[in-house]
Amino acid sequence: MASTATAPAPQPIPPSLSLPPSQFARLQPHAYLLAHLSPPASSQQPSIRANGRSPSQFRVTSANTGSLTHTNGSAVVRLGDTTAVCGVKAEILHTEDIASWSVSHSSSSSFASNKRRKLTNPTAKLGEDRTDSGDNESHIEDFSLLVPNLSLSTGCAPGLIPGAPPSALAQSMSHQILSLLHTSRLVRAEDLQIWYERPNFGPEEPEHHNESEQMDVDVEQEGSDEASIQTGEIKAFWVLYIDIMIISLAGNPFDAAWTAVLAALRDTKLPRAWWDVDNETVVCSDIVSEARKLSLWGLPIASSFGVFEADAAAGWRSVTIQDAEEERKLAEGDRKGIQRRWVLADPDGYEEGLSQERVCLVVDKPQGGDGKVFIVKMEKNGGFAVDRKELKELVDISTRRWEDINQILKQC
Amino acid sequence: MGGPIASLNPLNRADGSASYKCVSTGSNILGSVNAPIELPGRRDALKPEEATIEVFVKPGTAPGGVGERYIEGVIRNALGRLILGRENGYPRRGVVITLAIVGGESVGRGGSYLPLLPALLHTAALALLSASVPLSMTLSATVLAVDSSGEIIREPSVKDAKAATSLHALAFTSKGQLLLNESEGAFDFGTWETVYERALAICHGTSTLSSDGDVAMTENVDSQPLEGVLRDTVQDQIHSEYAWKIDAA
Repeated sequence: MASTATAPAPQPIPPSLSLPPSQFARLQPHAYLLAHLSPPASSQQPSIRANGRSPSQFRVTSANTGSLTHTNGSAVVRLGDTTAVCGVKAEILHTEDIASWSVSHSSSSSFASNKRRKLTNPTAKLGEDRTDSGDNESHIEDFSLLVPNLSLSTGCAPGLIPGAPPSALAQSMSHQILSLLHTSRLVRAEDLQIWYERPNFGPEEPEHHNESEQMDVDVEQEGSDEASIQTGEIKAFWVLYIDIMIISLAGNPFDAAWTAVLAALRDTKLPRAWWDVDNETVVCSDIVSEARKLSLWGLPIASSFGVFEADAAAGWRSVTIQDAEEERKLAEGDRKGIQRRWVLADPDGYEEGLSQERVCLVVDKPQGGDGKVFIVKMEKNGGFAVDRKELKELVDISTRRWEDINQILKQC
Repeated sequence: MGGPIASLNPLNRADGSASYKCVSTGSNILGSVNAPIELPGRRDALKPEEATIEVFVKPGTAPGGVGERYIEGVIRNALGRLILGRENGYPRRGVVITLAIVGGESVGRGGSYLPLLPALLHTAALALLSASVPLSMTLSATVLAVDSSGEIIREPSVKDAKAATSLHALAFTSKGQLLLNESEGAFDFGTWETVYERALAICHGTSTLSSDGDVAMTENVDSQPLEGVLRDTVQDQIHSEYAWKIDAA
């Protein structure tokens, strides 16, 4: 530290051993953040993070959709200095190109019954009616109809080499996004199906092509199962390639990437497509007004947190004395206003380097429901600071975050 | 319900190894640990005062993909808090943990690794113990599925896990702190709290901290707590290794 004290300071005032904040931040990152979060009582300053936010405050978020014209849907999401660009491109997958199609499709009636049972699950109760996805919901997973890929090799941060093969971080985030798309069932299988409607020579008008798939299913549920199965057949699927580029990385890439995926999927429009029996191919309409948006289930929104501990040695102390008694002491300290650890919402790059423990929550609030929040994903790893009580508070913070992001996505 | 079957040191050449078979999920894991070793040309410039932990997960039937990278990260973060990477001889060196899935159903693209996670963590913990890597604590983990009727299934099979509405993998330290939680699927916080209670009981039994700070293990409805299973495995191994001494005495 002594050597840096000799570095030329811009002002002539400094007494010995004072350095500009930026240097202090680099030399003693832990002490720097701690000094911000627990200022001396005499200084009358509030506890605030080094970046000027309060512990539960997220960075300013903005979203922009439809920026890329060659995609079916796109979005740019900024979370402070972290920026993610997401493009969704749809391609057609013929069922005859799916090796297992004939097998799984002919046996679909046999697993229909156990899928039905799943319909009575609590998710359906939670405000939204997910019932008509019943038989088809496994299509998305079985045939890989959603293909997300996240790229960090864009020169987005000094530590990441541009053009390098995907890092472990990029790969694991690609996986997280894919498995979140699957578990939240955000995209409905019906939206991705391309049907062949057999002309119905009966008295009924064969006018339902695309907009009526839901009707189809409704009819099916009303009991005339065989009739609707005979009039239609799935001939192809839309496959959505979801590419995410992090073009600037300053911490918390997952929230930015997931919000970008959400915004891009909300923006995605698929052209009207049908099976042309004479040409034996799928034909798309080029009339823009006939293209339709995806109808997504809910709006699961991610919020990430990092834990900062006042004790710099907490991560490697050989004897962890965090037993019941210690816990009580900590609680006592809390009451006296001495805080030992902070859960920081939306950590930036600097804070991420100082926190070992991470929490990621994805919550959703069904529209028109009773305002009850349900959790789609809850991850916590790398430490002991966050337990039941803390997680409950974080769910509340995430719920507030849901409201904010919901507003932002509505406006874009 | 049968408990897990574990053994230490099935491999001769590695510094430490363990095999672990979970009867209910059907997963069978073989793990090895080499520590401390010199990592070729890899000086972790960011944290030179600590050991670098590397985790490799090798699926049974397929080449590794993004799902493996993800679960490797999860295991590394969880164990990173337990391994004392600053003990003598460890800084700047590596702790390499290799986990091979030798049995059970493999995980497909985008599939969930959560049913396998407890077995992977237990194997890693046992292998670390057998390699005598300094640890601050040990861990025990379990996975629970909540089905559509709200019933909790302990250590579900792959089929049960697919049909479940939500899936929760929890790991506790030997002091009973929540070390790791991975939950997916739709659930509310109340459900998670019951899952937490159940998982804590599975890992630690209906434990009570006795006055001397030891966790008193009590038998519980679910059979022996997992913490005890791991402890017994290590105890048996030590007993057989020191048989010459014990017999002589």
